[in-house]
Amino acid sequence: MEQIISVEKLRMKFPGEESMIFKDLSISFGKGEKVLLLGPSGCGKSTLLQVLSGLIPNSIEVPLKGEKLKCPSSWGYVFQDPDSQFCMPFADEEIAFVLENLSVPKQEMKEKIQHHLHQVGLNLGAIHTSIDTLSGGMKQRLAIASVLALEPEVLFLDEPTAMLDPEGTKEMWELLKEVGRDKTVIVVEHKIDHVLEFIDRIVLFNDEGQIIADGPKDTILSRYKNEMKEHGIWFPGVWDEYVKNHAPVRKQPFTDDVPLIQVQDFSGFRNKEEKIKVNELQVTSGEWIVIRGENGAGKSTLLHALMQFIKTSGTYALMGTPIKRVENPTEHMTFVFQNPEFQFVANTVYEEIAYSLRIDKRPQQEINERVRSLLKVFRLEAHWGKHPFQLSMGQKRRLSVAASIVKDKKLILLDEPTFGQDSKNTFALLKWLEVYRSRGVTVIMVTHDDHISKNFATRILTVQDGNVIRDEKVIQPGCMEPKFLNIKGVSCR
Amino acid sequence: MTVTNAETWLYKINPSLKLFVLMVLCIVALFIDDLNYMINVTMGVLLIFLCFTGHSIKRIILLSIPFSFIFISTSLAMIFFGKGETLWFEWGLISITEESFMRGLLVGFRALLFAALGLTFSLTTRPVNLFYSLMQQVKLKPKYAYSFMAALRLIPIMMQEFQTIRNAMKVRGFERGTGVKSIYFKIKAYSIPLLSGSIRRAHRIAVAMEAKRFTDTRDRTYYYDFGFSKYDQGFILYFIILLLAGFFLSIQFPLVSI
Amino acid sequence: MKKGLKLSDVLVTIVIAVAFGIIYILWGSIYYFAKPLGLHVDQLIYGMWFIAGPVAFLILRKPGVALLAEIAAASGEFFLGSPWGLTVLLYGVVQGLFAELVFMVFRYKKFNMSVAVLAAIASCLGSVLMDFAYGEIGALSTWNLSLFMIARFIGSVFFAGLTAYYLVKVLETTGVTNLVRPVSSKDYAELDQK
Repeated sequence: MEQIISVEKLRMKFPGEESMIFKDLSISFGKGEKVLLLGPSGCGKSTLLQVLSGLIPNSIEVPLKGEKLKCPSSWGYVFQDPDSQFCMPFADEEIAFVLENLSVPKQEMKEKIQHHLHQVGLNLGAIHTSIDTLSGGMKQRLAIASVLALEPEVLFLDEPTAMLDPEGTKEMWELLKEVGRDKTVIVVEHKIDHVLEFIDRIVLFNDEGQIIADGPKDTILSRYKNEMKEHGIWFPGVWDEYVKNHAPVRKQPFTDDVPLIQVQDFSGFRNKEEKIKVNELQVTSGEWIVIRGENGAGKSTLLHALMQFIKTSGTYALMGTPIKRVENPTEHMTFVFQNPEFQFVANTVYEEIAYSLRIDKRPQQEINERVRSLLKVFRLEAHWGKHPFQLSMGQKRRLSVAASIVKDKKLILLDEPTFGQDSKNTFALLKWLEVYRSRGVTVIMVTHDDHISKNFATRILTVQDGNVIRDEKVIQPGCMEPKFLNIKGVSCR
Repeated sequence: MTVTNAETWLYKINPSLKLFVLMVLCIVALFIDDLNYMINVTMGVLLIFLCFTGHSIKRIILLSIPFSFIFISTSLAMIFFGKGETLWFEWGLISITEESFMRGLLVGFRALLFAALGLTFSLTTRPVNLFYSLMQQVKLKPKYAYSFMAALRLIPIMMQEFQTIRNAMKVRGFERGTGVKSIYFKIKAYSIPLLSGSIRRAHRIAVAMEAKRFTDTRDRTYYYDFGFSKYDQGFILYFIILLLAGFFLSIQFPLVSI
Repeated sequence: MKKGLKLSDVLVTIVIAVAFGIIYILWGSIYYFAKPLGLHVDQLIYGMWFIAGPVAFLILRKPGVALLAEIAAASGEFFLGSPWGLTVLLYGVVQGLFAELVFMVFRYKKFNMSVAVLAAIASCLGSVLMDFAYGEIGALSTWNLSLFMIARFIGSVFFAGLTAYYLVKVLETTGVTNLVRPVSSKDYAELDQK
């Protein structure tokens, strides 16, 4: 096979880091191969992808050397975050930007733009559509369309579905299969269900950025299952395995004298527009409520309304007291944001957790004890002196949860807390939430992950077009009613 | 700004030329010392601003509120505290003289003029068009032009992030902190995540742009082409006439006598 | 590193600046509520408008960044519909140029607090020069003018000098600055070890 990409004895080190990210790494790829790079987060897979494409060191200056560095001449690159790969405000302008870079004459542009949009199944009413109005999945389609405008021989895909829901992920891989058929494709991805049908070779990395296995996918999948589990990779069947080993015990919710939350004719408004309506809802201690629904149905808005981030009307009582008269609602309830960075306020991990306690002027000794115990529970002891922003994504998420619950709360609201997380972090988070729930804390979360609904939820609210259209309690412990769970390969025992 | 509005003739003027003409006008206005002349020119510019930007009257009025503030506050500072001979009124530190009053009005009108010129431009010009035109007519380097366009796209995203941080601060019990220390905390809590997030995002976008083969050469093709038209001549002519007629009228029919 | 700014330098600078542009707009509303109070209370907070240049330079540490940042911040402010209109552009250029000159005098090799403060003072000087042309502050009575100048200089040192410096110090601890600063030959040498 003709080798079109190869590196030999690659050494590379980020300035300011203690050790090299790669030390004498060698790897090569043949024309037409479809390869998946797998490994724990932070092992350097994405960095390697940037080296292979030449983005490092041409666009990003990082010290590196190697005996041989062969990059392809014709390639395209799809990045994770749809919002940080566009430079123009409108869909047609974004593709036109690529065409301009290639010096395509102006009169050919319209036709080419239409062609590439059509290629990725992005059927916009008009090609001059604002990118801001597109959904995450549509944005990624646009990103692929603009990459196809380069007419690349090699496609580099860096977790292109990290920000997409399960449905979007599936569609995206169907599309990539289609457009990548006659190309060399190198993929970095955590959620590998759909990728597997498409690739033929897997390269497995360890924490130190070394290759521990490289071969045909079936061999790797069968021989290295434990390593993959260890690394938090979402391989098929990982949920079944988790449930088999740690089946969550779902007890009946607690019975409160006064419901934790009681709302009636409750509406949430954004810009004076009613965005969510709840006729009646009662929440008691120890419930795990999952809010489901399509993108834009109003799931997050419901959480924001409960948190009073937005204007609301109707009755809303927290532990029997009307919310407006509760002095500090955030004493009783807390919210974990999708992007944990926004809620960090301190310069170190330790101070971050201590923050709420310091506001309350608790004695130093109590603060110290409380923080230390949380650092331990959330496996952050080794990082206590770091700036929160320097943690990995999983660690940031753990810290944000730890900091939110440092003062015992009765209610935790979470917005897609497992989004883009590897399986290890996801399970760790769910396990802790379950521990708190079993002590009587109420969990309300928005999630697209049906496995969570199936295995952890005690109750499921379905939101559609700004209304709660269904409110179902789990009738048998350990099992949801199958009628509203529609997951392939998951069945009730 | 995504407000639907009618595209008037102001939209058809070459963006670079529009910016240039308005800049020149600003500089000219710096040297106008005659209150009558200043009032006439300002009226001429306000006419364009009020009638030809294609935006609804309601929106125009809304946008004019901050102007009026500036007009009043700029004038008042000079009226109350300016130097002068002919004393009209004195009270404590405040002394209003004829000279300071006239000067105050002059400065106020100048501020009004600048504001109207600026808004007229930004209401009738898509930033993308301006930067394409700057690349074509002024030979601005593409790396600057596209960086500006990419950055402007990020404004709504940053606004959203700002709102999220505000909510996060509520959750963390931030609002309860008081005193200087809490102000310091607040500044930090907003600016650090916003800045660090923006830097990371900007860096990623730059890499993505280069992955799409962006190079800083000027021999690229353009999706939008900008040239000159008769509207441009009309635009320039309007302001020449305004400056001349304004001057003539200020001598023949002064509104205020100095 | 004599090739001038790379795309990522330019983009990062402009994005930082535009972020400050948003702050400038918000700051404007505080400013014109403070202004009618007279006695130049408003001037104490004027210095905020010089912050983009020093911050951007201290983050990226490259020539031209301070000037670009002030121009970009002013443009951002302008596009968002600043009530000061085109004036902000003119002021931006002058303020940026003055700050840039200070960094240039130190040959872009000093990144400490004194340089930040000096740059802030320089920007302030630039804005005062513009004010003489535009606002005719020369016509203010002498006591009032001195009050005005002192307030503005104090504000500049505080916001554009000290605040800018500490902001970047904290940013450094977040690790984000490593992304955008020039790589030293020492970093390359470390590859040969082991």
